[in-house]
Amino acid sequence: MKHSIKPLVAALAVVVSASALAQQAPKPETLIKWRQSVYQVVAWNSARIKANVEGTYNKEEVIRAANSTAAIASSGLGALYAPGTEQGKGWHDTTVKPELFTDGKRVGELAGNFVKEANELAKVAASGDQAAVKVQFGKLQGTCKACHDDFKKKD
Amino acid sequence: MSRQRVWDLPTRLFHWALAGGIVAAVVTGKIGGDLIEWHGRSGLFILGLVIFRIVWGFVGSPTARFANFIRGPRAIKAYLKGEWQGIGHNPLGALAVLALLTLTAAQVFSGLFANDDITFQGPLAGLLSKEASDQSRGLHSLVFYGLLGIVGLHLAAIAFYTRVKKESLLKPMLTGWKASDPVLAKAAPVEHHHSPLRSAIAFTVAALIASTTVYAASGGLLPAEPPPPPAAVAAPAW
Repeated sequence: MKHSIKPLVAALAVVVSASALAQQAPKPETLIKWRQSVYQVVAWNSARIKANVEGTYNKEEVIRAANSTAAIASSGLGALYAPGTEQGKGWHDTTVKPELFTDGKRVGELAGNFVKEANELAKVAASGDQAAVKVQFGKLQGTCKACHDDFKKKD
Repeated sequence: MSRQRVWDLPTRLFHWALAGGIVAAVVTGKIGGDLIEWHGRSGLFILGLVIFRIVWGFVGSPTARFANFIRGPRAIKAYLKGEWQGIGHNPLGALAVLALLTLTAAQVFSGLFANDDITFQGPLAGLLSKEASDQSRGLHSLVFYGLLGIVGLHLAAIAFYTRVKKESLLKPMLTGWKASDPVLAKAAPVEHHHSPLRSAIAFTVAALIASTTVYAASGGLLPAEPPPPPAAVAAPAW
């Protein structure tokens, strides 16, 4: 039995060193990919909420989409804008403006609005009133636009 | 007091509707949120107006016609020396009219294919790839500044006429008439001799072409969306 522990130790060593590697900061490219992906999920959620408030209303669908966006909004997205990700390519070239990395106060304010309205939408969606969801969804989209206007390049 | 005809009713209606439409489009576009839908609607409205004005520039009353008010560099020079006399758009102002119409058309056109990267997209954006639609959006943001500049120039020219040349341009655009000037009355190359019937037909033709264009631009000619899939293949529970 004694000799059989050696591979185990070796395997453990590999796992430990691998996790040590994993604890290194993610590459900028990875961070940019993550944040681009996150907004694609938000876009998916927004598209189905839009379809629901403009067409046949499916309460369960809206709740799932709203909860998903609220969870993403509160997930600590700021970490994806680490120094070193001002420029570069994720799935495509980043469209972030350099000001996002220098105007922390304004970014924090806009991000706070996004979290607040996303949480509120999840709450309103639970009540299931289509008209109220439409109004709150409009407010949430306003927070998207506010941030895009200030910090997203328009080609 | 004798007076002189300057602008026909359709030209005046067009002018004020365009002014209102542009203000509405700018305000709703800047605020966004729910109002972005109205930004799209005001854009289609503006498109209809621009198309109407272009057609009216060929079939409308004399002061509305491009052939009458678009002049060459010599006329512009004469105008700058103060030698121009006439009714309607002056030779320099004619350039501003062309610039305003062109930029407004470009702005609407780029908007039709743009998307806002939230949930809104122009009615024809689906015809392009996302990248091309993004580029159209970029153009849309760019042309906006050109439009802002030409509208500012337009307002400045009106202020210049009011304060320096002591001539109100606002009143003719509201009432259609200006106080008669004996010199101009002789110089005026334009007469309003069209019969009401002829004007009505011209207006109907222009309005028809404009509304058909708006219908096409709003996606009316795109193939109908496929029917929704049967309930059996609805989204799974997970």
